[in-house]
Amino acid sequence: MAQPVQVIRPPSFSLFALGDHLVRLMQFRDLLYTLTLYRLSVRYRQSVLGYFWAILHPVLLMLTYTVIFSRFVKVPTHGTPYAVFAFSALLPWTLFSNGLTGATMGLPAHSNLLSKVYFPREIVPLSYILAAFVDFLMAFVVLVLLMFHYGIPLSVGALWAVPAIVTLALFLTGISLFAAAMQARFRDVGMALPLLLQVWMFATPVVYSISSVPMSVRYWYDFNPLVGIMETFRGALLHGAAPEWPLLVKSLSISMAVAVAAYIWFKHAEATFVDVI
Amino acid sequence: MFDVEFDNVSKRYKRPRVHVNPEPAMPFLQRWFRRRGPRIDCWALRDVSFRVKRGEALGIIGQNGAGKSTILKLLSRITAPTAGEIRICGRLSALLEIGSGFHQDLTGRENAYLSGVTFGMTRKEVSDKLASIIEFSGVGDFIDAPVKRYSSGMYLRLGFSIAAHLNPDILLLDEVLAVGDVAFQSKCLNRIQDLRKAGRTIIFVSHDLAAVERLCDRTLLVNRGEIVYEGNPHEATLEYQRCTLLASEAPAHVSEMSRVVECSHFSYRSAADGAESVRTGEAMIVEVAYLARETVAGVVFNVYVYWPSGYLCTQLSTGEPGITVEKGPGRVSFLCPIVNLRPGLFLVDVAAERYPEVLDWRHRCAILRVDEAPSF
Repeated sequence: MAQPVQVIRPPSFSLFALGDHLVRLMQFRDLLYTLTLYRLSVRYRQSVLGYFWAILHPVLLMLTYTVIFSRFVKVPTHGTPYAVFAFSALLPWTLFSNGLTGATMGLPAHSNLLSKVYFPREIVPLSYILAAFVDFLMAFVVLVLLMFHYGIPLSVGALWAVPAIVTLALFLTGISLFAAAMQARFRDVGMALPLLLQVWMFATPVVYSISSVPMSVRYWYDFNPLVGIMETFRGALLHGAAPEWPLLVKSLSISMAVAVAAYIWFKHAEATFVDVI
Repeated sequence: MFDVEFDNVSKRYKRPRVHVNPEPAMPFLQRWFRRRGPRIDCWALRDVSFRVKRGEALGIIGQNGAGKSTILKLLSRITAPTAGEIRICGRLSALLEIGSGFHQDLTGRENAYLSGVTFGMTRKEVSDKLASIIEFSGVGDFIDAPVKRYSSGMYLRLGFSIAAHLNPDILLLDEVLAVGDVAFQSKCLNRIQDLRKAGRTIIFVSHDLAAVERLCDRTLLVNRGEIVYEGNPHEATLEYQRCTLLASEAPAHVSEMSRVVECSHFSYRSAADGAESVRTGEAMIVEVAYLARETVAGVVFNVYVYWPSGYLCTQLSTGEPGITVEKGPGRVSFLCPIVNLRPGLFLVDVAAERYPEVLDWRHRCAILRVDEAPSF
């Protein structure tokens, strides 16, 4: 019986090992599934509203921003009702923000597990991202209801939202792995994150339209991959519009580069998480 | 065929910088940087090489901080080596702490799934074994209650039950037997014996030297990150005792002793056959040889027997008013009709006293080894 020989060596950066890492991650897919499942069920245990919170969170944010940006301050939305305009971007934003926060805080919260059993460590941040994704899908139903309420038709063009979500998933995974690996060593990351997210939200067309951004800063502004993601997602759902390709491709290439680099870095740092966490 | 090969493996831990308090007069920024003292590296393992054959049970013993657990952590990939290479052939499971991966809010059943897949099983494998896991753990109806409502015994039993169903080729054990009641411990031992009979490879780290001797074919003695002895478990335990148990500090009053009567030798043997090993329940003869520099009356010879933890276990004494010893060498014999010590290792102090004066006190001068009684 020939069994594969596992070789354990000191950690090193390697692009070629990426395939091995992914194979190993696949072997542990049941752990990722189970951890995500229990993350969802534990979160709402001993809470009265339960899963309703997943919807309540973006809805309350939407109501707040609607009052501020359509009553107190008039934000131009080109005819789209502000509530649905904001909500369509708050959904991916909440996914990004909750996924990143959970993933960053996840490793130290599981230090007891990490120091006792080996499994691919990226499973912990990934399970937070998947849980945030499930919340996203539940809130998505509310978006559809809201569109129905305002008489906005859901066209076939809405499928253009899929590339936007794929890009978001890539970018979120990359940033989360990076932040999680940093947080394992420097808790400063966790401290800075809420502030960073607040600034980041205002550097992304979530509560305002991209047309309000002066052309002179657009070149730099568009380097934020979330710009292309939000614009594509909102355009596809509310107008059935095809993506603005240069913008989406820019987002996608940055996201891919971030995801690959972050994964390699994470796997290098992973080997000694236990020593520093 | 080797299941595990360690090839010149070293592991360095970076110790956090020592914070020193700089002078308060220093400017703030300068103080900020000065606060961090020099970084000191700490080598938990240095150039360790060993091999474990398929079906072998290897024991690893050594003092706290010797590097035993680091070896297990490297093997189970929990942390990576700083240098060297480890080769593993086969499915490896590590039981480093039973039930440690449990989530308090989840039920026993949910935790069984979570724990099982964490150890690398698939959900289907867990499903197939679930009935058996529940039965073996004996938690019964509690399987659907959150584990935070469990007693610590149930918690352990469920944890061990999941672990016992892993069916690995190589099993790493770290002090798992140190927890739980007697019934639980024997259950663990039985399960480990089953795995041994099935030809599985076992690597066992423990402070329970008797258990290591009973379970293992070969033992490594680790000290300060290096292997200092490798071979027969019995020899390794004796070597370990020589280096550690006997190295404890003698009490202060030792230097003030007159040593008019000096205890020169301690020995014990079975009263039945004179062999240098004794078993629980048998008769034992203990002998203390002494050298008296002058004739002294009222000498009391005491033999103190301690647990390895240092607590006094029992004592043999010639009793008051003591005996008169003639000048020159001599010996005192104690006959213990029944050794009422459980199998294991005990530390021995030998003293010659003339109350209240201590004439000679030999601190931790020998080890008394009690073996298991033969079963009938």
